[in-house]
Amino acid sequence: MSFFGFEQPLNLESEKRKFRGSGGAGKESEDIAVYTWGEESYDGLGEELQERGDELNDETFGGAGVVGKDFDFSNTGHIAEKPPKPADASRDVRPLSQMSEQQALPVASQPSASSRPVHTLESVWDDKSPFSVLPRMNVNGASRTDLHMVAQSHTPQPARFSPFTLDNDVQSGPLSLGGSLHQGAHTLEEIEAEMRAATVARLQQQQQPQPQQQLPLSHSGQLRTQVRQGTPHATPTPPPRLHPHSQSPRFHHQQQHHQIQLIQLQQQQQQQQEQQRQFFELQELRARERQQLLQLEERLHLEELERERQRQMRQQQQQLQNVNIHNQLLHQRHASGGVISPALSDRQRRASPVVNNHHNQSQIPLDMPFRQSLPYLPQDIQLQQRLLAEMAQEEFLRNMQATAPQTEREVREERELQELLRAEAMRKIMEAERMEEKRRRKHAKIAHMSRYNDLMTQSDKDFITRIQVSQLVTQDPYADDFYAQVYGAILSSKMGVQPQDERVLKFGSGGGVGLGLAQKIPGRRQSAMQRMEAQVERIVNNARLREKEKISLNNLQGALGKTSGRSYKAAPRQLLQVDSSTSPTLSPAHAHISKADALSLRNGEGAAREAAKIGREALGTAAHTGDLVHKDPLTHREALVIIERLYDVVLDIEQLRRDPPRPEEEREYQAWEADCGFHVAQLWDGLRVMVPLETSIPHPFVSLLTPIKGKRLLPRVVPHLSTQQMLTVLTLLVACFSQLDVVIKAPVLDSLQQTQEDKEVEDQTQAFMLHTIHSILPVVAKAGLRLVSGLLGLLLERSDIVAIARTRPGLALLTLFLSRVEVIKQNIAAATESSEAPALEEHDQWQLMFDHLFQLLMPNILLLFPSIRLSAVVGMPFSNIPQADVMDQPVWQYLAAMALHASAEQQQLLVTSLREIVLENVTSVHKGWITDDEARKMRLANVNIFLHALGLDSSQIAM
Amino acid sequence: MDPASSGIQEPFDLIRLSLSERVFVKLRGDRELTGVLHAYDGHMNLILSDVEETIMIVDQVEGAPEGKGTVNVAKRKMEMLFVRGDGVILVSPPSRT
Repeated sequence: MSFFGFEQPLNLESEKRKFRGSGGAGKESEDIAVYTWGEESYDGLGEELQERGDELNDETFGGAGVVGKDFDFSNTGHIAEKPPKPADASRDVRPLSQMSEQQALPVASQPSASSRPVHTLESVWDDKSPFSVLPRMNVNGASRTDLHMVAQSHTPQPARFSPFTLDNDVQSGPLSLGGSLHQGAHTLEEIEAEMRAATVARLQQQQQPQPQQQLPLSHSGQLRTQVRQGTPHATPTPPPRLHPHSQSPRFHHQQQHHQIQLIQLQQQQQQQQEQQRQFFELQELRARERQQLLQLEERLHLEELERERQRQMRQQQQQLQNVNIHNQLLHQRHASGGVISPALSDRQRRASPVVNNHHNQSQIPLDMPFRQSLPYLPQDIQLQQRLLAEMAQEEFLRNMQATAPQTEREVREERELQELLRAEAMRKIMEAERMEEKRRRKHAKIAHMSRYNDLMTQSDKDFITRIQVSQLVTQDPYADDFYAQVYGAILSSKMGVQPQDERVLKFGSGGGVGLGLAQKIPGRRQSAMQRMEAQVERIVNNARLREKEKISLNNLQGALGKTSGRSYKAAPRQLLQVDSSTSPTLSPAHAHISKADALSLRNGEGAAREAAKIGREALGTAAHTGDLVHKDPLTHREALVIIERLYDVVLDIEQLRRDPPRPEEEREYQAWEADCGFHVAQLWDGLRVMVPLETSIPHPFVSLLTPIKGKRLLPRVVPHLSTQQMLTVLTLLVACFSQLDVVIKAPVLDSLQQTQEDKEVEDQTQAFMLHTIHSILPVVAKAGLRLVSGLLGLLLERSDIVAIARTRPGLALLTLFLSRVEVIKQNIAAATESSEAPALEEHDQWQLMFDHLFQLLMPNILLLFPSIRLSAVVGMPFSNIPQADVMDQPVWQYLAAMALHASAEQQQLLVTSLREIVLENVTSVHKGWITDDEARKMRLANVNIFLHALGLDSSQIAM
Repeated sequence: MDPASSGIQEPFDLIRLSLSERVFVKLRGDRELTGVLHAYDGHMNLILSDVEETIMIVDQVEGAPEGKGTVNVAKRKMEMLFVRGDGVILVSPPSRT
């Protein structure tokens, strides 16, 4: 059979016939297989045979007459195959008539079982119904439009939007018959080729004279009612967006150049369509009422579509012409002048055939027969057309109110306006095209990337995430992310933002993930981070749940009876867990490396004996005991080792302090407190502050302060120590002040050469002043008079005060003491009758200490000045020493403090001894020996610091 | 001192002791450095500040017997230096006098 689009349906049929024929004829005809079908002498038996067993085809494939045809959009099959099958024409007579009868039946009636199926091959080939013709005509129209567009030197793109192809495509759906019956999948090229071939074939056919068609008048009334009902069979009008006039840029372009001509061309094309349709209708003498009705409906619909399109075109143009009302009116007039109704335009076209021919010469041969055929059109069709045209015009009148005949001037204005509009429209169109191009590229990119979509299942992804997360999770997320965390904290504090909590994701089991710096930019990364967090949380929670399950399983252990002799409970519970080492990378393999170290052995033995002493020493560092364990001072390397360990401890403490448990969780809080206490004790022991003073020289604590990082350690230790501990540190420091490297090496600085050692000592001194002195400053600031007196006494007793006073740290310390006492004295003066007023003996003690200090320093008080020391070494006047003022400033400050405390005669002494340098400085400033303004100011300020303390000023000094 | 409590378990712990101390570094290509060590890693990449580099340039005189070339010493100073670990032969505290 011919269904399902078999390539060679005829062959199949012939095969079948052959088979049947051979089977039915019997043995006698076996060797004389004479098949007469397809020839003049053919008896038609083959067709009879063909019908058997086909009774139910209608039920299987649907009734012939009412089979939905909307699946046929290209309608190419029979067009392509018609030319090579001329032989079929001879057999066509009978089936064709039958088919026509079938089609003439009312829609509702189903073909009887005995009747021949309509969709036989013959019926398809012989289909002379208007429906089979329509698509060809469509092709014709489309190709012509194509030609037209190309002739206008444009891309063929608008042809796609051409009203004719669009409308016809839509129409061809419900109206074409049989075209799809034996049609397989065709490519666009194939279809086009077939269409062209069909067009050529039809053009030849159209030259033949056409018989007239009679149309019953009764149908016109029916038609009119259908118009009012809105043509139930009609396919929906394409949305305005799809309409060529509102979409195609070239359309406007054409309008601008060939506006009138174009409209006329459109009319012409329309007419041709009409004429063609009519032509083919006329050709179809056998077509009956139903078909004609359908055809008329179709035409009506076409006209309606045409009107609709016109309206839309007008609307669009109106939108574009909103600029100027006058122009708008003009255009409307013009548009109404160009009303396209078949009847009207027909008349127009006949009135100006020259224009048509001039603009589309290729249509001349086509036009000729149509024009001739027009007068023969049935009266009612013309009536119908006129009616429709009137309706359309009425509508225009209603819409636009005024319709004046178009003049040449208006056309010119219109053109100018169009020029402007075109530019505007082109700009918009280009923009739209760019956007479209962009969108397409993006889409292509996404499509390209999405090739690999869904290659991995969710479990695959989860698996990989687990692997990645397991790399991130650590026991100590903060420490592992330390630098990023600290940097983030510094950054946020610098920017004045409240330093946020540590950006660490923590899990109950102790693990966690460091999240690094806070993300400043919200967006994809942020959301990815949040997703990661959620995912990690989930994974960890799952892991913990599993862990819990395992534990609960353990609880069941032994429920079914003892399985082994020794229960897990028998294992002794570990009461105490002590960190064996502060180093996280402890491995037993390394433990033996330096066990044979003799020094460490000896130290180990000594440690026990030392421990006993510490208790007694705790009373005070200054306390002397008889049985001291004298040891060698710590070597530089030992000091470094201890410092490194202390840094570890400090970091541990800082880490501990960073995340305390909530006080509600008592047990944990206590454990945490104990841990902190343990670490602080470790730190305290490590600092060796409590080691007896005489154990070694220098004292171990001083040894620890020798490396620059030891000096830097102190400020980090201080916050964890108690006030009492800090006092002890201060006392020790004062007691061992002369042992400090910065004091011992201070004389090195008294030279103008910049050696490596100089630089080293300078760096050390800087570090000491900045870190060590700075960290004891708060302790001194809170010290009472008694303590300060004691400390000064200690310093005087245990150190060479003259040497210390010639160092920067020593001078700083002395200044610190003196200014503290000065503050205490002022407090006493301010708070009369204060209970906290120091006892008289305390004051006396201080006075004693100060007098002692004064006496010690007075003889070489000038040598306190680095510039004077330098000038003695180098042999040049002190005022010429470079940077003398910067170096001397602390000395001036110290001398001012001294002057405040000094009695009248002490002040006299001071002034007498310092008179020379003060005068020298003042005169050097006033005589203009110092050119640098800055240096002059500083020198004067230095002198004034001291003089102000005495109640004097440099301006009082007479030159 | 007990080795475990001293925290020295591997060679790198010795280098750790010299952090923020002046170190002497011998490099391939007859170069030596002294500077303050700020950081190191397992590849012996080093970060040094206040560095003095000493480069030995041996001029082999034509025809002269082996080892008789003259040695020129070039020195230069750098504020901060990153030393790639593959050139490091030796790291030590500077000899103390």
